[in-house]
Amino acid sequence: MSRIGVFVCHCGENIARMVDVTRVAEETAKLPGVAVSVDYRYMCSDPGQNMIKEAIREHKLDGVVVAACSPQMHEPTFRAAVVEGGLNPYLCEMANIREHCSWVHTDKELATQKAIDLVRIMVEKVGKNQELFPIKVPVTKRALVIGGGIAGIQAALDIASGGHEVVLVEREPSIGGNMARLSETFPTLDCSQCILTPRMVEVDRDPRITLYTYAEVEEVGGFVGNFKVKIRQKAKSVIADLCNGCGDCWNKCPQKKIPSEFDAGLGYRTAIYVPFPQAVPNTPVIDRERCTKFLKDKCGICEKVCTLNAIDYTMEDEIIEVEVGAIVVATGYDLFSVGKDQPNEQWTGYGEYNYDAYPDVIDGIQFERLLSASGPTQGEIRRPSDGKEPKSVVFIACVGSRDPEKGLEYCSKICCMYIAKHAMLYKHKVHDGQPYVFYMDIRAGGKNYEEFVRRAIEEDGVLYIRGRVSKIYKDGEQLVVVGADTLSDSQVQVRADLVVLATAIVPHRDAYELAQKIGFGCGSQGFFSEAHPKLRPVETNTAGIYLAGACQAPKDIPDAVAQAGAAASKVQLLFSSDELEREPIIASVNEATCVHCRNCIRVCPYSAITDKEIKDKKGNLIKMVAEVNEGLCLGCGACVAACPSKSIQLAGFNDEQVFAEITALGSG
Amino acid sequence: MSDETKTEDKPAAAEKEWQPRIIAFVCNWCTYAGADLAGTSRMVYEPHVRIIKLPCSGRIDVSFIIKAFEQGADGVMVSGCHPGDCHYTAGNYHARRRFGGFRDLLEFCGFDMRRVVFSWVSAAEGKKWADLVNEAVAKIRELGPFKEYQKLLAEDIWRKEETNSDRETG
Amino acid sequence: MIEQIREKAKELLASGEVKVVIGYENGGLPETTRPVFITSPDEVDRLVWNKYCYANLATFLWRKEVSSLGKPAIVAKGCDVKAIVVLIQESQIKREDVVILGVTCTGVGDPPLSKCPICDVNTPREYDCLFGEEIPPKTDINKFADVDEFEKKSPEERWEFWEEQLSKCVKCYACRQVCPMCYCEICIADKNQPQWIETSSHTRGNYHWNLVRAWHLAGRCVDCLECERVCPVDIPLSLVNRRLAKSVKARFGYEPGYDTEAPPPFTDFKPQDPEEFIK
Repeated sequence: MSRIGVFVCHCGENIARMVDVTRVAEETAKLPGVAVSVDYRYMCSDPGQNMIKEAIREHKLDGVVVAACSPQMHEPTFRAAVVEGGLNPYLCEMANIREHCSWVHTDKELATQKAIDLVRIMVEKVGKNQELFPIKVPVTKRALVIGGGIAGIQAALDIASGGHEVVLVEREPSIGGNMARLSETFPTLDCSQCILTPRMVEVDRDPRITLYTYAEVEEVGGFVGNFKVKIRQKAKSVIADLCNGCGDCWNKCPQKKIPSEFDAGLGYRTAIYVPFPQAVPNTPVIDRERCTKFLKDKCGICEKVCTLNAIDYTMEDEIIEVEVGAIVVATGYDLFSVGKDQPNEQWTGYGEYNYDAYPDVIDGIQFERLLSASGPTQGEIRRPSDGKEPKSVVFIACVGSRDPEKGLEYCSKICCMYIAKHAMLYKHKVHDGQPYVFYMDIRAGGKNYEEFVRRAIEEDGVLYIRGRVSKIYKDGEQLVVVGADTLSDSQVQVRADLVVLATAIVPHRDAYELAQKIGFGCGSQGFFSEAHPKLRPVETNTAGIYLAGACQAPKDIPDAVAQAGAAASKVQLLFSSDELEREPIIASVNEATCVHCRNCIRVCPYSAITDKEIKDKKGNLIKMVAEVNEGLCLGCGACVAACPSKSIQLAGFNDEQVFAEITALGSG
Repeated sequence: MSDETKTEDKPAAAEKEWQPRIIAFVCNWCTYAGADLAGTSRMVYEPHVRIIKLPCSGRIDVSFIIKAFEQGADGVMVSGCHPGDCHYTAGNYHARRRFGGFRDLLEFCGFDMRRVVFSWVSAAEGKKWADLVNEAVAKIRELGPFKEYQKLLAEDIWRKEETNSDRETG
Repeated sequence: MIEQIREKAKELLASGEVKVVIGYENGGLPETTRPVFITSPDEVDRLVWNKYCYANLATFLWRKEVSSLGKPAIVAKGCDVKAIVVLIQESQIKREDVVILGVTCTGVGDPPLSKCPICDVNTPREYDCLFGEEIPPKTDINKFADVDEFEKKSPEERWEFWEEQLSKCVKCYACRQVCPMCYCEICIADKNQPQWIETSSHTRGNYHWNLVRAWHLAGRCVDCLECERVCPVDIPLSLVNRRLAKSVKARFGYEPGYDTEAPPPFTDFKPQDPEEFIK
């Protein structure tokens, strides 16, 4: 028989006014298993807590029920008190007779009966409670950062500055991401490369950061504090340790007409290449799908010209295994590319803009490359078709964004700002040119953003037309943009030399696959899901995995950097102790009766349950069962309800406890 | 509870008038907190519901409902977070499927479905919780005690023995 | 047809590809059959196939006595194959670990069992070898006509009906023993910490058992009717089973027994699942 102590709180008058607390104590004293039952004016006060501690010793209690306010309020208080009294904290439960009883009822007799019932429920539960101990998980103090754009760079630098090792994985040959492709940045118009490159070099120099470029995350196993990651280092065909980045190989490479991914197809690169001059690392890679050596086993010039013997055509992909305690995902964004291959079948439409057909209809990132001093035109505005300077440029906003009919529902957030920037920079370079903007609304929320847009309109004379474009057609050397002007309620036609489409921001095309691989969620649009939209914006639902940058939602640079810093500080918080303590309210499997129907595995929102083989001494398989990973389980109990034979149970809320609670109310 | 203690416990006044007995299974994060809010906002509502707290509506088993009726409940409430709000992301979606099916089964077997109330109550919906309780209590007052279920055992001559042995093993 | 089945069974056993063939042999009484487990090629002539082959042999696939013999081949009607599909879905058996000897079937029983006129798997959907002429699946059948009819009754009438039916239950658990889906090693009814399901056969305990039994089959029962066939007190168990099947189909657009890859419906969800019953 248990020896339970019941402590009924008056909460001054708060409870005692509506509940006959003395009677509650008297009645519950009669319950089987209750050794002592008392009432007191303020149980949460020091004397109240001491009363509990003394009663534990005096009556050798093995369970405590405090009938008082909501456990949300004082459960930690009373659990701490019973620990001081010498009991395990999980042997203390609270009956909520204030918020759920005295404060909401007006019939004292019925409220008192209810209070007695609520105490009775908890007395029966505590009788079935077991001692529970926090789960301790060791922490590997090394972080993995996936993606080497500005968000990934910032996260890696911050974590490294905190004194921890970082493994940074980037799939392209260089870090830098989309920011490296930008010309100048709003609203300050400082040069993107100038502010980014020093950070890239810092990454390269920091001894705590191990950088893998031209590499991809292949597999992630384990759990918070203890992830095991496999990274595929694609064969660069160049030995990084020998190469000094002199450039002889790419200067001599005869394959000079490969469209440059970095320049969004407006410039060319060679088969052995670095994506851009400031690349980090400055080691080239050979594009084996384009290289004559690999395609036809001819050429081999790069090998001949390399005085350092750094070229290695036999190099193979390598799998690198690392153990990390936390993961920051910063895979960035792609552009919704109108009329081209879409990563998502639903993204069609905008054929009327003839993006594919007319070379002078380009997207925002292509215009960035035209503006960039390191771009294919050295920063001169030349249109792709004939290299002439366009005297009239039309910018079209919301191509794909805010258009559920043809594109996506959401706002891509950065386009209004970069359109203003584009128009402004164009005007700075082509003084006699005229920029036009077709827009739906101007969304310029941000520090100095609205002022920036006003400047474009008022000082640089950008013509904003509020309306959508219905079609673009060719007339001679020019393009005719047909649209509506909803402010004057009329049709407008603008003759343009160049049209720039502000295409929507979409998640990286492999985002979903990566989320599946690592084990966290994606929202319906494919952006990674944060654990809570307001209160946990950088965490994912999988413990130890954090988000930074545009992989979570469209973001501009300051927001991406801020989130990366926040993710880094979460990582450092995790790394601040050697062991992670977790609430022991977790599930466990009774292997004797589990029949491996896998219901629990399917319903677990945290992928915390996996298959386990039970083998005999000789290694023969006896049976398969489910197994709970203590590091991942967060204790929701969905698995318990899904288990037909109740072979999985949740500590703190197991079937015996709930059964006792229900039957406590029973009439037999 | 054995019958003996029960009769002793009950004050004479309550014996006279039948009062609805409702057991509510609620999740910790939304409905329990919603009921707390009703308290802190001093919203007055009917005192006939006894809450049993679970971490998540996804933890709630169909047997909880059946057992509640076995224990003499006249009504059962099941409540969790609104879709999309689950603290554990998906427990309420699983609960929704489960209870969609199970309620159809109960209805098919002739249960009066006014005795089983499913709801979503968020931590901000103290008013909704109070209203739901009042509504459920009013309905069950109208329907009276769940005699049909209670008599399933009452007719049985083995009742007393069974109850005692249950207590030993359970 | 039986000659071809015997021939195939002989071949499979002789080559060692399977260790046991699960099929039907003549029962002790005329117009009956019983399950048989053939382990030697010399015994294949015991196999029979006729309209008295009611039993759903899928239930033997996961039983230790049978699985310990080695890889099985199984004679299976379309409806039995549906049970095998569910067992594969629930990882009780791997597809490659069983040879399905599918038989086309126009109905068993004399008169045919109630499931036969509403059968849409006269030709099994999944098999390794098929015996008998292929029969195109029937369309335009209402699998739930009797359920619909029963639902027209008032709640009071339904309650009365089930109270009477369930009061007959003696908790012999024959329904569970024969069910191919009841593969738990320790059934919830036999667990006593806590004892959710009251053990003695009073009506209240019978309710808990029968509600839980039906519930545990929701989205899984393929309506093989074995539970109803073996029930010694003739409780119309298929009626509740099929009410749940109807519910699962209407609510989640799912029918068990057709797709080995589909997640069982009560371990899955969609954000837009119906919730008309939730306030």
